[in-house]
Amino acid sequence: MTVAEKKHRVIEPDSLIGKRIPKMDAPDKASGRTRYIHDINLPGQLHGRILRSARIHALIKSIDTSAARALPGVHVVITAADIPDQRPIGVAKDHFPLKVGRVRSERDEIAAVAAESEEIAEAALKLIKVEYEDLPVIGNPEDSIKPGAVLIHPEPHGADGSHLHLKQGTSIAHRGKADNVAMRFDYSHGDVVQAEAESDVVIEDSFKLHYVTHCCMGVSGMIAEFDSAGNVLMYSNTQVPFLHKREFAEYLNIDPARIRIIQPPIGGGFGSKLDIYPFEVICLFLARAAKRPVKMLFTREEEFLASPTRQPVLLTLRSGCKKDGTLTFRQVHTLHDNGAYTSWGATTPFVMMQTFSSLYRVPNCDYHTAAVYTNNPYAGSFRGYGNLQATFAIEQHMDMLAEAIGMDPLEFRMKNAQDAGEVTGQGMSFKSCGFKDCIKSAASRSDFSRKFAENHANQKKPGNIKRGIGMASMLHVGGGAKIYPSDGCGTILKMDDFANVTLITGASEIGQGSETVLSQLVCEELGLPISAVTVVNNDTAITPWDVGVHASRTTFIAGNSAIGAAKKAKSKILAVAAKKFDCTEADLDLRGGFVIRADSGEALVELSKLLRNLHFQDKAELVMTTFYYEPPSVHQDKGFKGDVSAAYAWGNQVVEVEVDTDTGFIKLLKVTGAHDVGRVLNRLGIEGQIEGGVVMGQGYAFTEDLMIEDGKMKNPNFRDYKLVTAPEIPEMDIAFIESMDGEGPQGAKGVGEAPAICMAAAAANAIANATGVRLFELPFTPEKVYRALHGQTPKRYWKPWKAE
Amino acid sequence: MTELKRYLAPTSLDQAVECLKGGNVTILAGGTDLTPQSQAGRIKFKQTLMNIRHIPQLTGITLEGKEIRIGALATITEIMEHPLVRQHLPVLVEACDHFASDQIRNAGTIGGNICNASPAGDTLIPLLVLDACVELASMPEAKLYRHCMPISTFFTGPGKTRKSLCELVTGVRIPVPGAGHVSRFYKHGTRPALDISTISIGLAADIHDGVMKNVRVAFGAVAPTPLRATATESALEGRHLDAATIEAAAIAARDEVNPIDDVRATAWYRKEMIHNMTKRLLENVSA
Repeated sequence: MTVAEKKHRVIEPDSLIGKRIPKMDAPDKASGRTRYIHDINLPGQLHGRILRSARIHALIKSIDTSAARALPGVHVVITAADIPDQRPIGVAKDHFPLKVGRVRSERDEIAAVAAESEEIAEAALKLIKVEYEDLPVIGNPEDSIKPGAVLIHPEPHGADGSHLHLKQGTSIAHRGKADNVAMRFDYSHGDVVQAEAESDVVIEDSFKLHYVTHCCMGVSGMIAEFDSAGNVLMYSNTQVPFLHKREFAEYLNIDPARIRIIQPPIGGGFGSKLDIYPFEVICLFLARAAKRPVKMLFTREEEFLASPTRQPVLLTLRSGCKKDGTLTFRQVHTLHDNGAYTSWGATTPFVMMQTFSSLYRVPNCDYHTAAVYTNNPYAGSFRGYGNLQATFAIEQHMDMLAEAIGMDPLEFRMKNAQDAGEVTGQGMSFKSCGFKDCIKSAASRSDFSRKFAENHANQKKPGNIKRGIGMASMLHVGGGAKIYPSDGCGTILKMDDFANVTLITGASEIGQGSETVLSQLVCEELGLPISAVTVVNNDTAITPWDVGVHASRTTFIAGNSAIGAAKKAKSKILAVAAKKFDCTEADLDLRGGFVIRADSGEALVELSKLLRNLHFQDKAELVMTTFYYEPPSVHQDKGFKGDVSAAYAWGNQVVEVEVDTDTGFIKLLKVTGAHDVGRVLNRLGIEGQIEGGVVMGQGYAFTEDLMIEDGKMKNPNFRDYKLVTAPEIPEMDIAFIESMDGEGPQGAKGVGEAPAICMAAAAANAIANATGVRLFELPFTPEKVYRALHGQTPKRYWKPWKAE
Repeated sequence: MTELKRYLAPTSLDQAVECLKGGNVTILAGGTDLTPQSQAGRIKFKQTLMNIRHIPQLTGITLEGKEIRIGALATITEIMEHPLVRQHLPVLVEACDHFASDQIRNAGTIGGNICNASPAGDTLIPLLVLDACVELASMPEAKLYRHCMPISTFFTGPGKTRKSLCELVTGVRIPVPGAGHVSRFYKHGTRPALDISTISIGLAADIHDGVMKNVRVAFGAVAPTPLRATATESALEGRHLDAATIEAAAIAARDEVNPIDDVRATAWYRKEMIHNMTKRLLENVSA
């Protein structure tokens, strides 16, 4: 090649968007090199363990830690009495990390030990003597709201009846609560009474949703260390480092500036790390008292006992429509088992009411939730955030209404599905909306209508194997959710002399693939290969603020933020290049690691060379940019109305099953899904996310069941808590509807939670299609199905409860 | 904390049974039950932990006269893959195929499965319907003493057997089935691997001219021990497998089991499954 030819090298246009790009963290994870919190050990580190309650609901009469303190190798033993400045934690500030005077659930923390080894710490726990006085146990939410029910959070008095004189405060932990209602949500639009009068068909049913838990493969853990100036360094698995920084500071009574959180790679989040839990604060207390780093890791049993769960929900839904298939109204009352304390997850009604008010066109909607205290494990946030529960009820009613008016369930859904441009009664504005395309795509690819009719005709024929097909749709936020004062994310981008990019983002990687997608978006702007990017995203001392990983928001929000920073870098580079080549910036572009002519693709200069020229000159400069993206969404008003997300994600899944009526076994044959994701960014990543979500939804529908009886967990192990195993995973056919959202990064919308939402509802519809029997309670274990098929499941009616 | 004071790994049967004389010994073979159960605190280690894996007399699968002898240390995988077992004892292969997971099958032994004496033990049901005998060794005086006990009398309760603390299970002997022998196994679990039986059913008989003789039926997870179902056997013995016989046997089966409610199923569902699946197995035999 001659010098003259080289000058005219042309770089062809290329794009990373929509390609199948392996996750950047995959090679290390697959080869066992990833260093999780479990692998990190600090010099001088002690091991922390927590003594949990031996009772479900009891007064603590006395705690004797003397023998534990005397055990060689034990450095610190703490109880509530040792931490006089304990502050209540949780969204409702209704419990102390170390319980004061009373335990309210099996997991409750009574004392903690820091010792030289886990074995010594464990041995020390066994030496702690606690005297209890049992109280009546409230094991279900219906009992909790009965008149005269024992109060879970009475005004705090000691066992002898005297007031405990806790530090003054207005929190529930300090002043108690006069009833067992933790939170209430009431929403309405339109007039359901009038609408019901105008309806041709009205149906009402009660649904019961059970306890499940996240089962992260990496158990919870934390390492806390104080330096000699009192600054705190935490290695934490949190999903929301910046909000937690502030909260931890409050619990430690120090300035938030003194708190630094480093997030090692985590072995699963799924919403479970959205709250601060007692163990984290206790670990800090231990480290503070021991003046040594303290590491605390859960055992698997502890992970079951002391991690959050999905909200168990009792729900009565009343729905109506006209003969022509127009939905008229929905009225819904739900009762949530909050457990003993209140986590962020108690606010799942934010999401549930959106589904009730706005999944399909519903002119009138009336929604009421009470989340009530019981002595059960306390429920938290979990992928889908209430939407699985809401969709389970709504999508069964969609089939039932269609049947009542003699309309095909597919046609009924299409008739009520929204289009782009519509604004719902709750004020959600659907700027991009591929809802109808999702329904059509999933239905046609699965041959829904033909199979639905055939299976229906086969219901009464002989034979114990029945096939069924069912569908369900979903609506979820896909452009963040404006819950906090900001729903934004910051990015710092720096380029080095070799045109490598360091992308410093506030957005945490929790396995969802955000590092890879954010790198793609940056490379797309800067015309670089993905290998040019290093992502820094796990240290609050370095990364800019982000509200956290939740609400399927990271690709959308952090993606837009990363693009913003990359665009600023690009414009700086192009300005320099334009000067150098004596043209305008519009004449130039970045592609393949070069500055090119935009029209011809002719490579003008290697980007790395240009950056070096910029750096090593008299007026030396580096390319470093920052950007903060705040989505154009709004906070809800007091009536829960408002366009809370910058975009909304849609989906439809069709489930095919085979039911063995002799055993109640259900074989999940196939899932056909269509998701409006705005635009596919990383096809490999999004397929993985959808498949994982489908399996999580499958577990919720069929196998997973955290059995709690009078506050006691009966199956805190993987033998009896049944996650879906590989051979049970069905064939999947997933399609993506690209509605090209105007606000989304490269048109994309959030999808993290979406794929888990439809499964249980669609499965219920499939079972009904196969057998003619409708199941209103999860999970669909063989025995539950068999009972229902053999008339052994009395139909439950939960009478909507209203507070006096 | 454990009281464990001594670890032994004898290399001969004589050494092993000699050590057992005092009785204060925990025996380790595959460890797939012992490890989780001791960690969960359900089994407490005795003073001596004896690893029996180096004793040659406990290994091997051999044809001895009209019996197949399976050494106590034979792993579930070895049994499942052994040509003798595959040829003569397909019902045992079937049960092994439903046993836990590959990893556990590679380590877990048949002797361990027998001594663990779980009512849901996967190999115990086929061993019952195959008229297996448990080989025991001890050293009451200075000399090795060996005898056999029918497995149908071996179990006395969950985790409890007639084996004394001084005895070691050295193997299991199974008569080679003759011509006309049929057998079936069914395990009711909710997933293909790593599941404890909700119920299990074993069935064996000699069928000549359509008539069932020497009928053996056994049920797992419906009683404190793996259960020989004598009433169900009687309902089948000497009969042709017609629809009426099958239904009568299924009803007899349901009536003779007395299961409990637990995290896996209710007693009612277990009885229903015993009925439905006994019927299905018999229909499968008659087809």
